[in-house]
Amino acid sequence: MPEMLPKYVKLGYQYLVDHILTFLFIPIMAAVSIQILKLGPEEILTIWNSLHFDFVQILCSSFLVTLIATVYFMSKPRSIYLVDYACYKPPITSRVPFWTFMEHSRLILKDNPKSVEFQMRILERSGLGEETSLPPAIHYIPPNPTMEAARGEAEAVIFSAIDTLMQKTSIEPKDIDILIVNCSLFSPTPSLSAMVVNKYKLRSNIKSFNLSGMGCSAGLISIDLARDLLQVHPNSNALVVSTEIITPNYYQGSERAMLLPNCLFRMGGAAILLSNKRGDRNRAKYKLVHVVRTHKGADDKAYKCVYEQEDPQGKVGINLSKDLMIIAGEALKSNITTIGPLVLPASEQLLFLFILIGRKIFNPKWKPYIPDFKQAFEHFCIHAGGRAVIDELQKNLQLSAEHVEASRMTLHRFGNTSSSSLWYELSYIEAKGRMKKGDRIWQIAFGSGFKCNSAVWKCNRRINTPNIGPWQDCIDRYPVHIPEIVKL
Amino acid sequence: MVSSMAGGLIHDIKLSSVGPGNVTEPDMVHEPSDMNLAMKLHYLKGIYYFGKQAFEGLTTLNMKEPLFILLDQYPDICGRFRRTESGRPYIKCNDSGVRFTEAKCEKTMDEWLDMTKKNASLEKYLTPNQIIGPELAFSPTFLLQYTKFKCGGMSVGLSWAHVLGDVFSAAEFLNLLGQVVAGNKPNRPIKLGQMKSKSTNSESPLKVMEDPLSIKRVGPVGDNWITANNCKMEEFTFNVNATQLSHLQSKLLSNGTNFSPFEALSAVIWQCIAKIRGKSETKVVTISKKSEQNKADGNNQLISFIKADYPIVEAKPSELATLIKNAAFDEGEKIENAIKKDSGVSDFIFYGANLTFVNLEEEKFYEFDYRGEKPIHVSYRVNGVGDEGAVLVLPGPPKNGGRTLMAMLPEKEVIELKSELKREWFMD
Repeated sequence: MPEMLPKYVKLGYQYLVDHILTFLFIPIMAAVSIQILKLGPEEILTIWNSLHFDFVQILCSSFLVTLIATVYFMSKPRSIYLVDYACYKPPITSRVPFWTFMEHSRLILKDNPKSVEFQMRILERSGLGEETSLPPAIHYIPPNPTMEAARGEAEAVIFSAIDTLMQKTSIEPKDIDILIVNCSLFSPTPSLSAMVVNKYKLRSNIKSFNLSGMGCSAGLISIDLARDLLQVHPNSNALVVSTEIITPNYYQGSERAMLLPNCLFRMGGAAILLSNKRGDRNRAKYKLVHVVRTHKGADDKAYKCVYEQEDPQGKVGINLSKDLMIIAGEALKSNITTIGPLVLPASEQLLFLFILIGRKIFNPKWKPYIPDFKQAFEHFCIHAGGRAVIDELQKNLQLSAEHVEASRMTLHRFGNTSSSSLWYELSYIEAKGRMKKGDRIWQIAFGSGFKCNSAVWKCNRRINTPNIGPWQDCIDRYPVHIPEIVKL
Repeated sequence: MVSSMAGGLIHDIKLSSVGPGNVTEPDMVHEPSDMNLAMKLHYLKGIYYFGKQAFEGLTTLNMKEPLFILLDQYPDICGRFRRTESGRPYIKCNDSGVRFTEAKCEKTMDEWLDMTKKNASLEKYLTPNQIIGPELAFSPTFLLQYTKFKCGGMSVGLSWAHVLGDVFSAAEFLNLLGQVVAGNKPNRPIKLGQMKSKSTNSESPLKVMEDPLSIKRVGPVGDNWITANNCKMEEFTFNVNATQLSHLQSKLLSNGTNFSPFEALSAVIWQCIAKIRGKSETKVVTISKKSEQNKADGNNQLISFIKADYPIVEAKPSELATLIKNAAFDEGEKIENAIKKDSGVSDFIFYGANLTFVNLEEEKFYEFDYRGEKPIHVSYRVNGVGDEGAVLVLPGPPKNGGRTLMAMLPEKEVIELKSELKREWFMD
């Protein structure tokens, strides 16, 4: 129903409701000033003198005011800033063109032509490009996933990202107070966070955490954890590393539902530096505004929709259920319901409430109102889980092609890099020069569990187009048109 | 995917692919010329033997990286074959890449070279042996094998489908690779590959010409690009050092005409083979050498054939050498015409259609420089040689001077040829 109202009426309504306080304040101030002006200056002085100001009264009132102010400032959560971040750029030797992937697949799965055919169809429709990367062990026919190779990949990805981050932020290893590493499917002993501590000789009293098994949305879980820790520890910074190590998780069997991740998951990683220090306030790129986490694991179907299991031949892989998109939609709805009131302007919230009440009381046939999130955010980073995910979210949130461009192009250039994809997308927006001071960004990630996590950032300063970054040598080629079905 | 060959002699075999580091433009294709298509049933196999220092301390990724850089300039060899509607093969430049094999040998390089002196066919374990087909779209045209020997030496083996280009273009690829390893950024002399809409094969009219004599039509092989022989072929190789060579040349000297080592050796071998073959005498041979012009399509061979009017056995070797020297019937155009006649669909062989002698003596094989090291030995042979056989004359290792010869002949002729050469010409 609101869609039928002419655009300018809607605009007028939004302006009115969003600035309602201003609109109420102005007439009141006007009325008061008129009243004051009506009374002559002597009258004002008389009124002023009639107020007996006792010394004790003044002292108590000012003490009260100071107390309230102190309590307010103390209980305000610390501001968390994202100083900078760096994404891993895979070397040219890791590149996997489509046809190479298909040729290797035919040799590895030579007894299962139907599975090979299936992979070809997935690749054609996947939205991936010809420059995505797989680690060296997976380039072999058949793949050669050893523990050593997995560690090698982890070292290459994580250390490269951290080195770049250190270069960008000029931070010393000894200054890192908190370390959080998230990698869902590779969890060696000692942990990856211990590996980082060892390589960079971090302090012995570092607070290190290693999150594993939490899926593609673990990146935002790590940010949430860092935020909570930075509330407790004043004047600290936190290094968050998000990655997914492909080597040990390449499915070597032929079950179709489990071959899908092989076609989509690619090498990638990101390192992020968060801080609550006053000194970083000016140089930080973003300020963390909200993190909203939604877990649908209580529902059995949601719990099982991304499930690691053995196939009939005993080969381990990740089974993606056919209900994945529906469950993702549900999780998104839950997340939006929580995040909406935090970020949406009053006009949208009011409209949503109005329609909700209307549906309940007057006419259930009214279409539910989807709040216009484009009013709350300038940029959207949707986890590049696959083309279907981006299509679904674009439809549900009524986003334009430009809003989802960062996600689509990241999927094309880097594939599904799991928890780090959000950072490649943010990097794309910066590389295109679209990020302005004050812009609000919404990062949404989905992951096994089934979880939907969101983070809201606000751009803290002017951002110049970065000269070091994963997009530096190819940004001019983007955006590209990605056909529905690539002709191989 | 076997993990060992020849009873464990070659083991620890690992397959992967290398391709261009940067993405090739979509819809790029390469259309092999008529001459290239005439050669499509042949495969050039080369082996470059390096001492320990060349590859010392290098990981597999170190060895692959220069290939990724160089292959940016070779979208044609990284592509795969398809057929047009008329059946003519073309290459879709889809970055599939080059097959890369790593292997280990349980012998030292010296032991191996001794073994291959007696049994040249062992060398087939150092090169990949996959042919194009049965599925064109999934068959790599260029394959590499890096084999590490017990002593630390490394052999670089390659299988280069002749349809991509001749030996000179294969050798050029490796020489450029050496330059990339050294840190230079060489440019491939001629870049191949163009967008689908354009076609380099001009619509030149079919001329009425005789059929070429240097190529032979073979039964349709379909998408399995290899010819079947009526008898088992074997190869043998021998070196002729500088002293033996000058001795030979002086023996052949007549009327003051100096013969090049190629001409002298070819004449000698021609006569020996003719003697062995007896009744079915070899009066026609094909000669192939490098052409003066640098053609764009990667095939720079000057092909000529010789027909002798008299029995070869009774001729003087110097007469045969003169025939070879003066061979001038350039068959190139005739071959191209024959291919054009049926749009490149028919199948032909060149090597072994007649007894073929290939002059590679001037080629700079030993200039393939890998981190400052040159190969200690280079060997080349051709796969898919017809029943008449072929002989390649390569330059010998630099410290010997002289020539290395590789003969691919029917099995039963090899032993006789060996003894004939030993007896008549004091070569071992």
